[in-house]
Amino acid sequence: MAASLSRSLIFVILLVLQIAACAHYPLNQQSHSFDKNAGYRFDNLNAGPRNTDSLFVCLTFSGGGTRAAALAYGVMEELRQTRIKVDGEEKSLLDEVDCISSVSGGSFTAAYYGLFRERLFQDFQTRFLERNIQGALTARLLNPVNLVRVASPWFSRIDLAGELYDREIFDGATFARLEQNGRPLVIMNATNLGPGRRFDFTQDHFDSIGSRLDLYPVSRAVAASSAFPFLLSPISLKNYPQAEGYEPPGWYKGALEPQDWASRRYNAAKNLNVYLDKQNAYVHLMDGGLADNIGARAILDAYERNFIRRRINQGKIKHLVLIVVNARTESEDTLSRKESPPGILTVAEKTATIAMDNYSFESVDKVRSEFYARVQTQKDLEAANQRLDQYCPQAPKFPPFKADVDTYVVEINFKAAALVPDEDPRYYLDLPTSFSLSKDQVEKLIAIGPKLLRASPQFQCLLKVLQAEAEGRPRPKECPIGAGIVGN
Amino acid sequence: MSEYLEVLFPRQREVLINGDSTGETNVILELEGGKYEVTLSPPPNFTPLQHQIDLRNTSAMTPMQIKFEEI
Repeated sequence: MAASLSRSLIFVILLVLQIAACAHYPLNQQSHSFDKNAGYRFDNLNAGPRNTDSLFVCLTFSGGGTRAAALAYGVMEELRQTRIKVDGEEKSLLDEVDCISSVSGGSFTAAYYGLFRERLFQDFQTRFLERNIQGALTARLLNPVNLVRVASPWFSRIDLAGELYDREIFDGATFARLEQNGRPLVIMNATNLGPGRRFDFTQDHFDSIGSRLDLYPVSRAVAASSAFPFLLSPISLKNYPQAEGYEPPGWYKGALEPQDWASRRYNAAKNLNVYLDKQNAYVHLMDGGLADNIGARAILDAYERNFIRRRINQGKIKHLVLIVVNARTESEDTLSRKESPPGILTVAEKTATIAMDNYSFESVDKVRSEFYARVQTQKDLEAANQRLDQYCPQAPKFPPFKADVDTYVVEINFKAAALVPDEDPRYYLDLPTSFSLSKDQVEKLIAIGPKLLRASPQFQCLLKVLQAEAEGRPRPKECPIGAGIVGN
Repeated sequence: MSEYLEVLFPRQREVLINGDSTGETNVILELEGGKYEVTLSPPPNFTPLQHQIDLRNTSAMTPMQIKFEEI
């Protein structure tokens, strides 16, 4: 009897060890060919029948769990409902969205729309927003088989999360489907823990790690983007040798001159070098919010040296619009009213959030400044040429840009709920960061998105300008070029 | 921080910067500062075939000007 029990015990232990040994996170696959004109990069994506370059719209969806996903969803609904006319064709403003940069909770909404388009408005609310994702993850973790699997050093909680998202939300889709769907380009942001830098799931990054993005599950990109520190573990990628014929992006050449060490182009090149250095054989990714919780930095990169900059120089973009959906919360400041200093838990929480919040503010402000600088430069050139016409008509004119750009930065955040009748910002600012909100909370978040968008003076100016253009009227006086940044 | 470049050529032609299509000749191009290789799209009826530039200390009213002659 004892011998039989011992044999059974040994069998169970061996079985457990075998399951644990077999458990390994799914590896990204190596790429053996490189084509700079193919893959999941903006210039390779089909614009579709109703998307123009002349109205160029990008969205950023911040982190913040289900709160952020629901707010982003509400804004998407409003964009879908907003009718505009561009180049004589009537369409929804959502048809004109060219890129979405997302972080953490916002990546669920961005990826779902990128993959399933109209289905977002049919079943995303029930499939994701109203679900207790945290509960589902805990249930999977407590499954005895999974308890054994996570005992493996090559398989952890985030891999269980990836499996859950893959099966129950993203239907096993890979980036090949995002590429087939065309615009908008969905840029999901994570943080590479090694160098402490932003990593986005785009072709440029996967080319640099010699890997096939088209075969990579979207669910794992979303899992990496939303791998909240301590609750979840990192997603890991293998950094392979680059495929034969690999060339870094055009902006990289000449970017690493020592005298330019303080420039953003140099910094971007150093970031790429992390992956070109094959001693860095692995990439360990966590929540994108650690590097940029607003998603604005990816758009800034595209504006400064990538697909947006190219189109501006080519004169293709007439209206450049960035809609920032920021689900940031802010607890009431009670510390400043107390004599006693805060305890260690409060200090820990503040340590984790203060720098992130300040960086988010500065990121949006940086985009705003860059967009506004372009407008001011255009105005300076126009004014200088007018003066020449007036006082020195024989003198040669200053050379023009190919086309002037009319820029807009629309920021949606809960503080702006104060501008909406019958809304209390405090309700939204006190919501938790969680993947489990009540149905009532989700519905309120979805409903506030459209109201916040409509309350934005920059957004109202955009609609007025587009309407005036469609009707052949002059630009509204209350919305001069630049009002899309500073308001009117 | 933006810098400004004007590529002069007797006719309108696509400008390639580090191999990427980046606007056209005889208008102002807005770029980040630093070193670049500048050329024009085919046909190669111009000289020099390429300029190596170090773009810095410009403004929109005083852009760096580089010239390609038609041959």
